[in-house]
Amino acid sequence: MGALAHLIEQRGIATTTIGLIRLHLEKIRVPRALAVPFELGRPLGEPENPAFQRRVLLAALGLLERTDGPVVLDDFPEEAPGRLPLEGWKPAVVLPAVPVPGPDASAADWANALCTEWTPLLWTHMRHAGERGRSTVGGGQQDRERWPELFAAFAAGTPPVESAVPGLRAVQAMRYVADDLKALYTEAAIAPGSGPSSRQVLDWFWNDTVAGALLQVVRARCLASDDKVLNIVGTMQIVPGARVR
Amino acid sequence: MARLEDLPPATAQRLRDLECPVYDSSPFVTGGPLSTRRVAIVSSAALHRRGDKPMMPGANEFRELPASRPTNEIVMTHVSVNYDRSGFQRDINVAYPIDRLRELAADRTIGSVADTHYAVMGANDPKAWGELADQLVGKLRADRVDAVLLSPV
Repeated sequence: MGALAHLIEQRGIATTTIGLIRLHLEKIRVPRALAVPFELGRPLGEPENPAFQRRVLLAALGLLERTDGPVVLDDFPEEAPGRLPLEGWKPAVVLPAVPVPGPDASAADWANALCTEWTPLLWTHMRHAGERGRSTVGGGQQDRERWPELFAAFAAGTPPVESAVPGLRAVQAMRYVADDLKALYTEAAIAPGSGPSSRQVLDWFWNDTVAGALLQVVRARCLASDDKVLNIVGTMQIVPGARVR
Repeated sequence: MARLEDLPPATAQRLRDLECPVYDSSPFVTGGPLSTRRVAIVSSAALHRRGDKPMMPGANEFRELPASRPTNEIVMTHVSVNYDRSGFQRDINVAYPIDRLRELAADRTIGSVADTHYAVMGANDPKAWGELADQLVGKLRADRVDAVLLSPV
């Protein structure tokens, strides 16, 4: 972002940049930047907290009135309270106790396990999306009914040859559906206004769900492939580094 | 998910060691008071309309986000999985503060909100962004934007 700020400013329009990694702001010498002490992915700090977001935004926009450049770097003084775990938080959906398929599981075993697990979750997801007025599911462009079969094929070591998304290889298309699967689960697990920390939500997804276990297996299969693109996707684009098993 | 210092050591080190461009100029554009500025958001979160092609690594492009687009139509296809998305799932404003910007325009803290905002893929190499910046600034000027908020993930 800092580099793009420089390029825009160079072309004559003033910028102000929110930065999550102060070191990068310093290296690039961004024209005007607000370094924030928030977790990656949350430049405004706190979801569902308009007052907090407004303070961050005002601090960033206020730099536009500074004239003591060419480099202005300020620090936002507040921590985001939602970084801390919410005591007693539990997912808003109770999943059935579905055994995670074993190492010799077939594609059908994985598909059945996922479908059994997520059936009660779908209704909760729909309700939460209605309350929020939005859902982030859908970047992968594939109908949800096709997801279990898609992931199961990769988990069983028999990835599809044909891609359902024009212009993308099957593994590239699957990678975005993996993001949709995570979003489906976490949007259902977090009741609007409930505010668990991201760590609590990810602990649940990666430790307690068949879906998380399935993505771990898909990752491992991609890494074991001779195909370079599958290797890249498996290495970096399915399971967060902190959650790799 | 976590702040940089809370990430797995290898991931944190990779981010610390990330090569950043070094420029031999220091542009710094000044302007009028904030209450007169027309503000656009540029996000590096790879945001775009649901149904459009995902933003691919290496594709030096930007996507337009009309201010009038309902937030329910906006999805995120950033290549990285090493940052928190649950915040964005709960509230789009935590990464793309479009509602907060509208509120600041309504109470005249800023002059106005741009008609169109933009998203890029932040993981791409900014050294190849010169042409992208030319096109982007052309669109910002056509929208009479004189202040840009850059928002990362």
